[in-house]
Amino acid sequence: MLVRLFIAIMAGKFVMWLSRSLGQGSGSSLPGMVALRICPGLLEILARQIKEGIIVVTGTNGKTTTSNMLADILSSEGQRVVTNRKGANLATGVASAFLQSATVLGRLDYEWAVLEVDEAAFPFVYSQVKPQAVVVTNFFRDQLDRYGELDATVDLIKKSLLDRGHAQLILNADDPLVAGLAAVAEKQPVYYGLGEHRETCARGVGVKEARFCPHCSQELNYAYYHYSQLGAYSCPRCGFARPVPALEAINAEDGLEFVRGTVIYEQEQLELTLPTGGLHNLYNAVAALAAATVAGISPRAGIGYLRGYHAATGRMDRFRHRGRLVLLNLVKNPAGFNRGLAILDKAPGSRDVLIAINDNDADGRDVSWLWDVDFEILGQNNAGYNFFICSGRRGEDMAVRLKYAGVPADKIKVERNLEQAVDRALGGRGERVFLLATYTALWPVELYLRDKAERVMTGGQDLPSVS
Amino acid sequence: MVKIYHLYPDLLDLYGDRGNVMALVKRCEWRNLPVQVKEIRIGDIVDFSGADIVFMGGGSDREQNLLAEDLGQRLENLRQAIEGGLVMLAICGGYQLLGSYYLAADGAKVTGLGLLDFYTEAGPDRLIGNVGVEIELNGKKVLCSGFENHSGRTFLGRVQPLGRVLAGHGNNGQDGLEGARYRNVFCSYLHGPLLPKNPALADYLLSLALGREEGWKGLGSLDDTLENTANEVMLKRIMNKR
Repeated sequence: MLVRLFIAIMAGKFVMWLSRSLGQGSGSSLPGMVALRICPGLLEILARQIKEGIIVVTGTNGKTTTSNMLADILSSEGQRVVTNRKGANLATGVASAFLQSATVLGRLDYEWAVLEVDEAAFPFVYSQVKPQAVVVTNFFRDQLDRYGELDATVDLIKKSLLDRGHAQLILNADDPLVAGLAAVAEKQPVYYGLGEHRETCARGVGVKEARFCPHCSQELNYAYYHYSQLGAYSCPRCGFARPVPALEAINAEDGLEFVRGTVIYEQEQLELTLPTGGLHNLYNAVAALAAATVAGISPRAGIGYLRGYHAATGRMDRFRHRGRLVLLNLVKNPAGFNRGLAILDKAPGSRDVLIAINDNDADGRDVSWLWDVDFEILGQNNAGYNFFICSGRRGEDMAVRLKYAGVPADKIKVERNLEQAVDRALGGRGERVFLLATYTALWPVELYLRDKAERVMTGGQDLPSVS
Repeated sequence: MVKIYHLYPDLLDLYGDRGNVMALVKRCEWRNLPVQVKEIRIGDIVDFSGADIVFMGGGSDREQNLLAEDLGQRLENLRQAIEGGLVMLAICGGYQLLGSYYLAADGAKVTGLGLLDFYTEAGPDRLIGNVGVEIELNGKKVLCSGFENHSGRTFLGRVQPLGRVLAGHGNNGQDGLEGARYRNVFCSYLHGPLLPKNPALADYLLSLALGREEGWKGLGSLDDTLENTANEVMLKRIMNKR
């Protein structure tokens, strides 16, 4: 066994070195794949050596950002953290992260591991690494050709937790599908959430997913919701309702380049400002802060560390090109895309937009989810947009979608080639440029954009002051 | 006024199938034809004789069971409307529901509405991927594309198929047939959604619905360059693969 482990680590590290020196990818999945092939028990052996604990982050959206924020908070406290920062979140990516941190003899000298884990990979990784805590962000409809229907994904996580229920759950109180997991928890979960704020829709219309009680299938009532099914729900039949969050952000304010809110924790009120936009990032931040309490780090300290947070690639990633703001954002499912569109819609001034849709395995081969995205908002407010360049392997499908959303045909352009599409977007006259791309389109767009535009690295110093 | 009844949009809303209704609505609006969508939910009072086009999409198993019972109570009314020439489009789960039965993997037999003569059996795996189909509309052969994702295998009795599979699996991956057609009822496994990228089929449904009125003079033409390009790009890709 030990020999096998050493061979696996050597082979994995060699592949890592090779892929880096050849410049082929970032070496975030392949080393783990090789090592796991040689030693299937590798994850368990390496994970055992983590001194304080392992925190797994899963759910549909926000995994990368939440786990990066949490790893940042732990590192800022002087803790050594193993983490799969680049979003390689299958078992192979998790194994690569451990390999990278391990010595050639397979020794790990780290206090914490923060692991982002894909929902489909969760059962295996969970059983191998035996995490101390699990953060579940949300459950949205995502890549039906890969995961199957949403119920199946939720059941998969639930079953793993049932098999081994010792983990401390950190759950999004606002998502009934996530909060419903409490039924299989042995310990009282730690809940986080967002309180009602001025951008919140007051009524329950528009909640499409998960409108039914996870326990008794009755239609849920909503006092308010933020987006998708996230909000204050209650079941008129069995009494299931949004739990009171231990950590809650209120007075949310979403700017294009920042988001802020007041975090309430044990009667303390703390001002949180993130140097990246989007209400969803406020969710990610409170999730990370809630998880950090499990490691004994106070939200007050965590909030301080998050002021300098750097967005991961393609998560409201900011660039400047000839004085204009260029925002690059990953889109991968209707819930996330709708968040992206809400940000576009709120941006002041004229906008140039590029939407790049690929249908490779990692993107989901079925692009019919584009019809579950509410592009109608672009059609209704199309006066604020100069053009929409549709690109990627399914750029034509995107163009059709925009046409039926009411975007005038003369504003819809198809440019299959990603680099030429970026050039055309950057060559526009709008005050702001938005680039939205699916997973496999994001990387080539980012690579090309890096050469053409300057990335904005935020400390926190150029943030608007907290009023 | 073109009256579209969208059956259970709150329950049957997987795979962007609502795009089919959007396509019908937009293609009416672009021609200045008045159009109205009525969303039918469980328990609503409904008379199908007042509808021009009925649309039903697919949903998860749990949701499909909920509505099968509800639809069963309206069965006679729907059957009469169909015999009278009502235009209907049913996709995936909605398609399966119109047949005689669905034989689940555990051997349980779920009775269908029995409106069309076909049955469905659960398969060992899901049939997933892009599909190209040749459909005959008014004697003209039209190539359509879409995406299928189903574990049920459907076998037709005394009904016509919607078309012939050029690439992909279709009804069962065996007989080369896709979908079903009986009078003006069209069934298909194709998501995508089906109608926006296949405007000839969308317009065919509209002309069948409008043609039931006396003195109707036909649909005006639209610029379908974007739609046809998207369809051709996909057809080219999947046909070359074979």
